[in-house]
Amino acid sequence: MPDSAEIESLVIKSVQMLAKDFEIDALTEPTTDSLLYGEGGPLDSMALVNLVADIEDALHEEYSVNVTLTDEKALSAKRSPFRSIANLCNAITERMPK
Amino acid sequence: MKSIVITGTRKGIGKSLAEHYLAEGWQVAGCSRGESSISHDNYRHFSLDVSDELAVVAMARAVKSEFGGVDALINNAGIASMNHAILTPADTVNSVLATNVTGTFLFCREMAKLMRRKKSGRIVNFTTVAHPLNLEGEAIYAASKAAVESLTRILSREFAELSITVNALGPTPIDTDLIRGVPEGKMDALIQRQAIRRLGEVRDVINAVDFYLRPESDFITGQVIYLGGVT
Repeated sequence: MPDSAEIESLVIKSVQMLAKDFEIDALTEPTTDSLLYGEGGPLDSMALVNLVADIEDALHEEYSVNVTLTDEKALSAKRSPFRSIANLCNAITERMPK
Repeated sequence: MKSIVITGTRKGIGKSLAEHYLAEGWQVAGCSRGESSISHDNYRHFSLDVSDELAVVAMARAVKSEFGGVDALINNAGIASMNHAILTPADTVNSVLATNVTGTFLFCREMAKLMRRKKSGRIVNFTTVAHPLNLEGEAIYAASKAAVESLTRILSREFAELSITVNALGPTPIDTDLIRGVPEGKMDALIQRQAIRRLGEVRDVINAVDFYLRPESDFITGQVIYLGGVT
């Protein structure tokens, strides 16, 4: 099971790869504070779809854990898990199998 | 080698489609609730319920690691319920919707995740002429396939940016287990409503699926073809 530093590293790596694929200059050197989706965030819905799928895939490939980020909780959350890298890391940690 | 996922491959049209694409040199991943009825070096079977989200996700991951991805998906698995609405229990409604709608959706979602990496893909969903013909006694089956047609049209738009086409095929009655319980008189009346009045054959289905899967069909999406001239 990945710890919080490993989750952060996996998310940042995924965002960097996505930024390269989608040519998103604002995310070529992402940090935990980087905004992702929503007001001021550089991702459009298609880029977000790809990022979520990439991260779910990477979590399974590297740590053999199945995490679904697009559950009912994510869709109804007041603070979107996709707002920033920090939010996304928290959402992943919350969804880790117990 | 190209790879294809086909649901409902234990018998009927699904089995014939799997055998056809194996003969054409594809790698085929199939599934059904029961064990495999196909033995071939390039065939991999998964025993699962298509509406079981975790099982479908696990199958997609196995297809990715064993085949390196997927080029096409045929959502063939389906169940029918032929009964008057007043005599149809809620359990039947739920199981038809689970297999035909939820199952089709889950496979579209999970296989699209694999196809997006190749930036190309073909999805063919199965509908039925029972929907446009408004066949009495098939309310739930036809309604479930109306939902599949709607999914097909909307997913064709959502997946277009990923260069994945999503189309549907609506066969006429074909001599399979699905229609074995239908009285002969009712079947004849149904066939009379087609422009071309005969039972469908598996080759008719294969021909239309082949058309959707052709590389040249990359500008064909969101379409529904009914066989036999039903409109």
